[in-house]
Amino acid sequence: MTSAEPVADGQGRLPDEVGLSLKEIAESNGLRQVGGRPRLGTYLAGLWGRRHFAWMLAKSQAYSQNQGSYLGQAWNILNPLINAAVYLTIFGYVLKTDRGIENYIAYLLIGIFFFQFITRAITLGSKAVVGNTGLVNSLQFPRALLPISTVLTELLTFLPATVVLLVLVPLSGEPFTWWWLALPGAIALMHVWGTGMAFLLARLVVEVRDVANLIPFIMRALMYFSGVFFSITTYAGSGLLGTALAYQPVAVYLQLARTCLMVEAEPSATLWLAALGWAVGTLVVGFLFFWRAEAKYGRG
Amino acid sequence: MLVVDDVHLKYKTFGGKRRTGSSRLPGWARGFSQGVGAVDVVHAVKGVSFVAHHGESIGLIGHNGSGKSTLLRAVAGAMPVTSGAIYTDGVASLLGVSGALIKNLSGERNIILGCLALGLKPDEVAAHYEEVVEFADIGDFVRLPMEAYSSGMGARLRFAISTAASPDILMIDEALATGDASFKARSQRRIDEIRARAGTVLLVSHSMGTIKETCDRVLWLDSGVLRADGKPDEVIEAYMETQRAKVEASKK
Repeated sequence: MTSAEPVADGQGRLPDEVGLSLKEIAESNGLRQVGGRPRLGTYLAGLWGRRHFAWMLAKSQAYSQNQGSYLGQAWNILNPLINAAVYLTIFGYVLKTDRGIENYIAYLLIGIFFFQFITRAITLGSKAVVGNTGLVNSLQFPRALLPISTVLTELLTFLPATVVLLVLVPLSGEPFTWWWLALPGAIALMHVWGTGMAFLLARLVVEVRDVANLIPFIMRALMYFSGVFFSITTYAGSGLLGTALAYQPVAVYLQLARTCLMVEAEPSATLWLAALGWAVGTLVVGFLFFWRAEAKYGRG
Repeated sequence: MLVVDDVHLKYKTFGGKRRTGSSRLPGWARGFSQGVGAVDVVHAVKGVSFVAHHGESIGLIGHNGSGKSTLLRAVAGAMPVTSGAIYTDGVASLLGVSGALIKNLSGERNIILGCLALGLKPDEVAAHYEEVVEFADIGDFVRLPMEAYSSGMGARLRFAISTAASPDILMIDEALATGDASFKARSQRRIDEIRARAGTVLLVSHSMGTIKETCDRVLWLDSGVLRADGKPDEVIEAYMETQRAKVEASKK
């Protein structure tokens, strides 16, 4: 502490440092530069080192989502139940869109629940950086933790909904098959794809915030193009258009979940490969895209 | 140790725009430019350089909006520099008045999250937990969401979290202002501990008393430019001189 007496050159250099440039002083003392984009390996290692933070943040956020009410955590189960009741009333009794599907109740419930996860992962994931300015502005950590943790939060709130689904689907008349055991795999692939999308969109929204205003419209369009309420092949046929619609990622993940839980939806290797391809491809592209702008996050 | 080399900091702000240049436009056009494309760039820090050594405690003074907090955010690595460079040799921890943590979560969760974000391992967090709660002295409130805290309680908890990880550079942004006397004494002891371990402390405060008690060097920032750098008494005297002149001018 005694050697730290400031000298009067206005930059606090010690006598043996006067005459050196600031960069030389930094280098001769073995300092490293703050900020900037770390190399990919370092960045991944940093992410792994803070994995407990991402997990704890996701758990806490999932928990706090429903804390602001009297029923609190009971809403985790109530939400999907009420959701199912509303959609079953509208589409099962009022609109009658069930043509071409034997077990329309199961078809609709799976579609609604899985689509809701995708919507929330994409909408909230896109705001993962701009919506967490409190954390971004006060702590230094690999920013990729934010999209990861946001989508993880959604996965945690989706799990009670899956339990509700696993009760309602057999009640609608579906028998148990071994394919049920593949459902966690389908959910995992959808989650990985959602994380990739969150990476892509989180950076886009940092660059141009207005993108966040367009996402609700895109999601609404996707709801009609992804076979949430009705089978794509019934409406778009099995030609080029029908195939393109059936193999876009959202439709793939909804259909994949149905092949796990419904007898009438035939499991297919093509579908699993498509789900895997979208998941890995989107994750890699999204992560690299997000990492390249690491030095930009936090400048408002 | 910390080297700040000719740092410029600019940030974008959404939702409003200063009326520079467009003031000659007709009224409706000015209204339009406030409602659409209301994005402005603030040049908060304009070419600041200094070297801070081990064990130094440096006060940052200047009127509101002079770039003090922005500079600290950049040193903490939470905000990228526009040009220039900042070099450090250790972990920097920033203690701000607002934001730091997540207000709808309980103090308990915030302690764990804050410590994990600072890079502690889960078992280290468990080891520090009691110490943090004790230092913050918030009792049962640790189970309530942070939005229920008084500003002093929030400041104490944030101070306790920020220093739990034993940072090499501790930056305190006005966080001591809301604390009571016993908290000030405890935080002063923490600051001394950090300096004794060859850490560096940067302190932003509008209380010249706090600065004189804590710091052995003072930097004066004026509109983003470093106006003076030296012994506390001299710099504070020069700063107070301009403040007095301003107060006089506003009386007339």
